[in-house]
Amino acid sequence: MAAARRLKRVAASQPGFLTLKSNSTDLLSGRRKRVNKNKKKSWNKHSDINDVEEFLNDIRHQERTTGGLLAEKSDDSLFFLDVGQPLNDAQRDKPVEEEPVERKKRKGRVSRPLRIDLILQQDSLIPPPKDVLAYQQPNAKKLRRSAQRLEQLAAKGVVPRKQRQLLNRRPVERTTLKAVTEANNNPNRDYYDIWGQELKDLADPWYLQQTCKKRVQRPERLNEKPSTLPAVEVIAPGGSYNPEFFSHQALLKAAHEVEVVKQKEEDKIKRQLAVNKEDTATMETIFHEELEGLVEEEKEEEEELKDEEDVAVGAIVLAQKKTEKQRKKERALKIKEQRRMANRRMNNRQQQLFQLRSIKASIKQQDQKTKVNQIRRKAKQEAEKSQPRRLGKLKFQPQDMEVQLSGELAESLRQLKPEGSILKDRFKSLQKRNLIEPRERAKFKRRHKLKYVEKRAFKEIT
Amino acid sequence: MGGLQKKKFESGAATNYITRNRARKKLQLSLPDFRRLCILKGIYPHEPKHKKKVNKGSTAPRTFYLLKDIRFLLHEPIVGKFREYKIFVRKLKKAYGKTEWSAVERLKENKPTYKLDHIVKERYPSFIDALRDIDDALCMCFLFSTFARTGKCHVQTIQLCRRLTVEWMNYVITSRALRKVFISIKGIYYQAEVMGQPITWLVPYQFAHDHPTDVDYRVMATFTELYTTLLGFVNFRLYLSLNLLYPPKLDIKSESELKEEDEDDYAMGSESYLEKLSALSASLARVVTSTEEEEAQIDLFPTEDNMEMMEEKEKEKKLLEAQMKIFEGLKFFLNREVPRESLAFIIRCFGGEVSWDKSVSIGSTYEMMDETITHHIVDRPNVDKRYINRYYIQPQWVYDCVNAKMLVPVEDYFIGVTLPPHLSPFVEEREGDYVPPEKLKILALQRGESSGQQQPEEEEEEEEEEEEEDEEEEDNDEEDQVEENKLKKMEEQRSQGKVKVTPGKVKMENPVRLEQEEKAEEKRLAIMMMKKKEKYLYDKIMFGKKRKVREVSFLKSRNKYSLLWERQTKK
Repeated sequence: MAAARRLKRVAASQPGFLTLKSNSTDLLSGRRKRVNKNKKKSWNKHSDINDVEEFLNDIRHQERTTGGLLAEKSDDSLFFLDVGQPLNDAQRDKPVEEEPVERKKRKGRVSRPLRIDLILQQDSLIPPPKDVLAYQQPNAKKLRRSAQRLEQLAAKGVVPRKQRQLLNRRPVERTTLKAVTEANNNPNRDYYDIWGQELKDLADPWYLQQTCKKRVQRPERLNEKPSTLPAVEVIAPGGSYNPEFFSHQALLKAAHEVEVVKQKEEDKIKRQLAVNKEDTATMETIFHEELEGLVEEEKEEEEELKDEEDVAVGAIVLAQKKTEKQRKKERALKIKEQRRMANRRMNNRQQQLFQLRSIKASIKQQDQKTKVNQIRRKAKQEAEKSQPRRLGKLKFQPQDMEVQLSGELAESLRQLKPEGSILKDRFKSLQKRNLIEPRERAKFKRRHKLKYVEKRAFKEIT
Repeated sequence: MGGLQKKKFESGAATNYITRNRARKKLQLSLPDFRRLCILKGIYPHEPKHKKKVNKGSTAPRTFYLLKDIRFLLHEPIVGKFREYKIFVRKLKKAYGKTEWSAVERLKENKPTYKLDHIVKERYPSFIDALRDIDDALCMCFLFSTFARTGKCHVQTIQLCRRLTVEWMNYVITSRALRKVFISIKGIYYQAEVMGQPITWLVPYQFAHDHPTDVDYRVMATFTELYTTLLGFVNFRLYLSLNLLYPPKLDIKSESELKEEDEDDYAMGSESYLEKLSALSASLARVVTSTEEEEAQIDLFPTEDNMEMMEEKEKEKKLLEAQMKIFEGLKFFLNREVPRESLAFIIRCFGGEVSWDKSVSIGSTYEMMDETITHHIVDRPNVDKRYINRYYIQPQWVYDCVNAKMLVPVEDYFIGVTLPPHLSPFVEEREGDYVPPEKLKILALQRGESSGQQQPEEEEEEEEEEEEEDEEEEDNDEEDQVEENKLKKMEEQRSQGKVKVTPGKVKMENPVRLEQEEKAEEKRLAIMMMKKKEKYLYDKIMFGKKRKVREVSFLKSRNKYSLLWERQTKK
């Protein structure tokens, strides 16, 4: 009996062993409550496991704080020999107190970690459990096998299919793509022999034509120039920087003539716009104007009325009706006249037989005239080819002639002052050759009227 | 009768033309884009013969295009690019407005661009076609390359133009193609002969630009866009024809000569090569380095008729070759106040060597102290330090030498001397026109006469004689006068003295003279036999001719005084 009791005690002291003793004692002491013990649920409900929990908590606490069970620790690690305080206790204390003050002054609170961080810090001494999954590899076996197989194949010298495909793939043509994005005015662009090789379209011409991919041939008409003028017109010899006297004079004269024509036109406009002195109002004319209609008005009106009546009566008068006899007579006369004319025509035609020579001469004359006209017209057309045409709203205006007066001429090349602008010269040349239409710079048009508002701040000052 | 009534403006001229606005709408382009397209494709507005018919009864001035041209434009692939660009701009604006910078970046990366290569090929199907039209391109490129790199046009365009013009000049130098130069008040005109085509271009003076406001820069830039493409391809072809490397490379030998200097002072590393090329002082590298050019020899087929022609041709060729080498063996040094690029270009074109001060520009080959320099080009009243063994001349000498196709005497061009006028080589005088005396002098020099010692009066007499040969009638009149004079003298002698018998002289009968007289007689007779009408016309023509001669002689007589006067005024 004693042996059995001892065994029980030992078992109870072992962790994880449920003791039913206390329960049984309770039950024994109080009313016995009948409980089904055939189900786990009721076990959990009616068994008291507090002491086990406490025990386990204690063990966990020990592990957390010390890193193991206290019972297993060696004595050295748990205890130390207390020798007592050192001799100069009081002396030592003072600097200890002073130091933190100094530190506070120096570094403030920056050096000390924040309390929240301290709270969040892990304080258990149990190392975290290893992540098993981190060491596992999915499909490890399969992969290992395949790698082995590859090694074997490589040893045999067989290239796997994937690699073969990669090797066989065409290289991507980057160069063509780059050429497309290159701008036209890139200063380092490359040129090639454009007239050398004939580009051959590899595709089926029928296909190209049907899909509108074939270049349309340029019509021959477009290769003709719209003007026969040369691209670069060399300035007259008088335009030399050091001109010969007479050619310079000739150039000056030409420029002068241009100016004269301009001046004449201006004068003409001025003349046309000039106010006639007789048309200006004087006191007298103003007075007459004011009097107009006040005196002699009635008489004039009456006369006018009379005139109007006469005219109206005249217009209304109708021609009298013709009689039957008159009509017959007229008809007869008409027919007679027609016959007479027909006779005359016949006669004339017959007479022309005898005029053959003069007719021939006249025909010849006419032919000659037309020929002359044709030649003249052709010459005119030729001349017009070198003229600027009217291509738009504005007419072509030649630029001012570049001329330096004899005083302006430079004595040496160093002192030469260039005259006119070549940019303008080129632009005008393009217009003159009918390549572009003369145009004025678009004027800025304000859509809405500007509204001026005086700001209040400004107003106060003024 | 019968049939439907014809409606107006549904056939004929009205259907052949299309107004600009309608064309623009048909192509779905904005006006600037349309204008650009037309310029690039070479489609120009057209003036109809009957404007009212074309304009459907209205007389409002409009710009018309041929409908067929516009239909042709519809097929152009660049139109699509223009539309894409329009959309790109719209998207970019939107992205900017929303301040979506990543979108802006992405859009800018994928900016639609286009090339004009196919248009060049289409417009100029053969190389010669392109060469005929190169004048304009050259002018425009030279003009744009002198622009300041400000906002007036793209900096890239300016750089490209500069590159192309430098390539062109280098080609002209290597092929010795330059023929004429003319310094005008506008700019410098050059004429070269490339593959038998005379090509004229105008180069502006440096730093001479004020930007005029009434020029449409957008139009000019569009033309330049096309012309740069054209000129690039032409350059390539020309370099190919001379066996030169393209893009141009300097000769190894000359490059090593140039390398001695420190390049960093002149240009950035990226630009220094172009700068060296544009110095024009070094020759270019060839694909196959040959010591001597193989000169194309004319195949000879000696038939009797052909022989003379052949000989003449060879003579001309030799003459031309000699003219191309007028500066060969001469060493020039350019002072800093003369236009460097123009002079270097010309001197190198004719085989001379040229250098300048180190601080003026990159690419100088020798110093001023070099003893072998033969000509020093100066454009200032005096020079402090002179070397005895070289000529100090004004820059006009070089230009005049080129135009005269020979070395003009240096005396007229020394420092401080009043220069002879610079004549235009582009003028071709017809018979009977007024020819400036300086030109006559040069012509005489070309013929091999040394007119250096001759006095101007003598020359004038010579001229008069020449003219007299032209006018036979005048000649005859004068002969009559001479004979009369002789007779008068004889009479005087007779009246003075006694009658004397002198030994007779054999009158030499000049057969040429006789023939001439006979001809003149025939002419006179023919004139006598003329009908009244024809006679009137003939008289008129002759009067015109005489008037011209009179004017010319009048000008000549005034020439002396005017020259004097001019010199006085200049002083």
